[in-house]
Amino acid sequence: MSAFIFRRLLSLIPLLLGITMLVFILMSLAPGDFLTPVKAQRDVPAELIQAIEVEFGLDRPWYVQYWKWLGNVAQGNLGHSWAYKMPVVDLIGQRLWATFLLSVSAFVFAWGIAIPLGVLAAVYKDSIFDRIASALAYAALSIPEFFLALLFVFVAAQTGWFPLGGATSIEYDYLNWFGKIGDRAYHLILPTLALGIGSIASIMRIMRANFLDTMRAEYVTTARAKGLSEFAVIFKHTLRNAINPLVSSFGFAFSGLLSGALMVEIVLQYPGIGQLMYQSILREDQFVVLASVMMGCSMLVLGNLLADILLAWSDPRIRLEKKK
Amino acid sequence: MALYPSDIFAPQLQLLLAASVILSGCGSEQQRPSTGVVAPIPVDALVVDFPAGEFDSNVVETLAGDLATVNPLVNETMAGSAVIGRILEGLITLDPNTGDVIPNLAKSWEISADNLQYTFHLRRGIHWSDGQPFTADDVLFTWDCFFAKQLDVDSGEPVLDENGRVKYRYSSRSTFGQLINGQEPLVEKLDNYTVRFTTPEVYAPFLLFGGGEEILPKHVLQVSFDDGTLMDQWSVETAINEPWKIVGLNMFVLESYRPGERIVFAKNPNYWKVNTKGERLPYVARVITKIVQDQNSSNVAFAQGLTDFESIGPDNVAWVKRGEERFDYTVLDMGPSSQTNFIWFNLNPGQNAEGVAYVAPYKFKWFSDQRFRQAISHGINREGIVRGVYFNRADILHGYVSPKRKLWYNDAIRKYPYSPETSQQLFAKMGFTLEAGQLKDPLGNAIKFSLMTNSSSGLRVEMATVFKENMAALGIDVELQFLDFNTIINKTSDSFTYEACMLGLGGGAPDPYAGKDILMSGGRLHQWYPQQVEPATEWEARIDALMLEIGRHTDVALRKKYFFEVQEILAEQQPLIFLVSPKDFVGYRNRWQNVDPTPLGGVTWNQESLWAEPNP
Repeated sequence: MSAFIFRRLLSLIPLLLGITMLVFILMSLAPGDFLTPVKAQRDVPAELIQAIEVEFGLDRPWYVQYWKWLGNVAQGNLGHSWAYKMPVVDLIGQRLWATFLLSVSAFVFAWGIAIPLGVLAAVYKDSIFDRIASALAYAALSIPEFFLALLFVFVAAQTGWFPLGGATSIEYDYLNWFGKIGDRAYHLILPTLALGIGSIASIMRIMRANFLDTMRAEYVTTARAKGLSEFAVIFKHTLRNAINPLVSSFGFAFSGLLSGALMVEIVLQYPGIGQLMYQSILREDQFVVLASVMMGCSMLVLGNLLADILLAWSDPRIRLEKKK
Repeated sequence: MALYPSDIFAPQLQLLLAASVILSGCGSEQQRPSTGVVAPIPVDALVVDFPAGEFDSNVVETLAGDLATVNPLVNETMAGSAVIGRILEGLITLDPNTGDVIPNLAKSWEISADNLQYTFHLRRGIHWSDGQPFTADDVLFTWDCFFAKQLDVDSGEPVLDENGRVKYRYSSRSTFGQLINGQEPLVEKLDNYTVRFTTPEVYAPFLLFGGGEEILPKHVLQVSFDDGTLMDQWSVETAINEPWKIVGLNMFVLESYRPGERIVFAKNPNYWKVNTKGERLPYVARVITKIVQDQNSSNVAFAQGLTDFESIGPDNVAWVKRGEERFDYTVLDMGPSSQTNFIWFNLNPGQNAEGVAYVAPYKFKWFSDQRFRQAISHGINREGIVRGVYFNRADILHGYVSPKRKLWYNDAIRKYPYSPETSQQLFAKMGFTLEAGQLKDPLGNAIKFSLMTNSSSGLRVEMATVFKENMAALGIDVELQFLDFNTIINKTSDSFTYEACMLGLGGGAPDPYAGKDILMSGGRLHQWYPQQVEPATEWEARIDALMLEIGRHTDVALRKKYFFEVQEILAEQQPLIFLVSPKDFVGYRNRWQNVDPTPLGGVTWNQESLWAEPNP
């Protein structure tokens, strides 16, 4: 098992090299650079622009810049943000918790609703409940999350029931401990819904299909024949087996934990990593973009790894070691 | 009498700090130092003569765009300037009504007879927000930050770059901006409250440009100046975890900052302005600034009655005005803004590395003909743009200077009223002929060109469309290109592969010399043909000469005469074909007292005197 994990993590290195190189090439192909907006301003002396260009290495070709950056990364230095003049790691760290909170709450919301719904839809297959749930699921699947977010902005602006953006309200700093939690939760409602509704539908569909498959399995018939109660059949025998394939979805969900909320964060003005990434891409603040991309990529690999390990752990038929 | 809010809210503040540390994921333990001493009211306190009001209300407002740094030496964004401008101050400031230079941290100054020496007398008894006294040493330190040299470790001599210029230790906008013809002004301390600047040659804008520099606190930043980390100071990290370290002289200090969410300013307990009763200003206890994505979201927040003060764009003012009664606010027309919109043709005669001319030679022949540009200018229906694009919320712009800058505005320049007939006469003089609705040059080339503008500005896209129609009426085919802003800047300043462009310029310091980069032929923003080694034309050479004179003379009448001539040449030559200047609008909630908006100062120029009944 540890050899498998080691190999997987090793494969991360060429992957990251390839992706970061691609980002460097793409950013050098994109028109302009970090200094372009500065060049368009008046009162900026040409000497200053030159001095900054040299300081940032923007006067060099991209491969020289890339090589230099790689050297720094090898020493554990992800670089300074040009716009913020501070280490990229700290900059991302500032925003990490807000995004993490949102992703976790969307995750809990989606899975907490989708799994019971999927089970119910399977147990009462072809009932009116199943049909309505399916119809809603398809509807939810077909709405892109940024559009849902836009709708929510509209609703919030029209009704005033929900805050327009932000993660805390103005009074936050003067609230007591419970007030603070409540305030955060209140601000999380819309982003959570926007982010979670799409995945509810897909998880529910997977859950329902798996559950139906498992219900037809022979050991379920056996369990029924033994005279077990329907409750025991469903929750003890069927659910535990049916939930297996969802474990791999869990890995994917993990990979999107820090970078999956980009669209929603931007539209709903939620101050997380997504907003930072987006601003950095627009400003071509290279090292922030690179660090975010690397983070997203590593999370994807780790998520998949996690899924594989979980699967191996929960299903004895799966072996991760190479055959001798 | 003014209470320092942090005393009242100390327990909550501790909580907030604890919370922000947890939330930011940084485990380092932070301690807020005991609040600085509230210093006595300065001897030279400025008495503001607005009627006295009540203390302790809060302002809620929005800021378009997030903060990237609070360090003025590093900042490059508008949002950053807005925040820093709340905390730091310069020796002089501008009169919100007349635009004249008036005392600020300096209570007075003298200029020597040879116009080389500027002696500033600082207000006595002013203290920084942390309670330390403000003296001439702070001014000297600030200028040291600009001009400190990189020194060779062994020899101790300044390091030179490959062009033989000294390398500065902390290259900032101010470093190069304050160089006068490549030379540094000399700064001396005469006593604790007197500073003397000596410029290497007569340099008229020094009072405004040099005196306007925001002063940095020596006692706070000296350490990082010495150890080389000056540029990393006052980052957003500081603003989040240790906002009290950002010390200033202006009326606010940072209380807290949450990235992407909001900035809270608290009043500076040591501010140096008092009201007529001798009470220390400002009246407001806090300014809560919500960070929003852009000016539109900011206008939305104001229109819903969520914020107190706002500047409103001409495209949004109509619907914002609708909420006036419901949310009890007022929207005012402040007249023309300093923003200008214009078109220019690429007049760069050069060629790229492959030997291909930037502009096709036969087109260059049109563009470089003064009559062609005049004809185009006559063919633009500016009235139509004002009515159709701006719904009358803009003014026709005849020349380089917006009528907002009353002091420098020359109304007697040549104007180009809409007249397709005049255009055709000018074209006819060039030998152009109109055949079946298509204008052709003497060689039979159809007159057509492409015009690019930035796709992100909706109003400019509409103006370009009007322009295309106006040109079509003259028999000219204009191909519109709506491009990303960066692409446009690349084309106009690096690759020069374009024919015509429409852009705008906003603001800028209110001194004609601030336009030297645009107007002088060697300038970086001399859009139609930037960074010329020698002036390409006689009239550009004349403008160069006039601009140098404007820099060298301190006599306003003389400078005005020169600058009027610059405007006349520009109007005659039309290298920049000016279109319109949008109007400025401001809004404020009616609960505020002492509101006195001016076109130059906006609605919050007298922020220290604004007061309202304290919030419930």
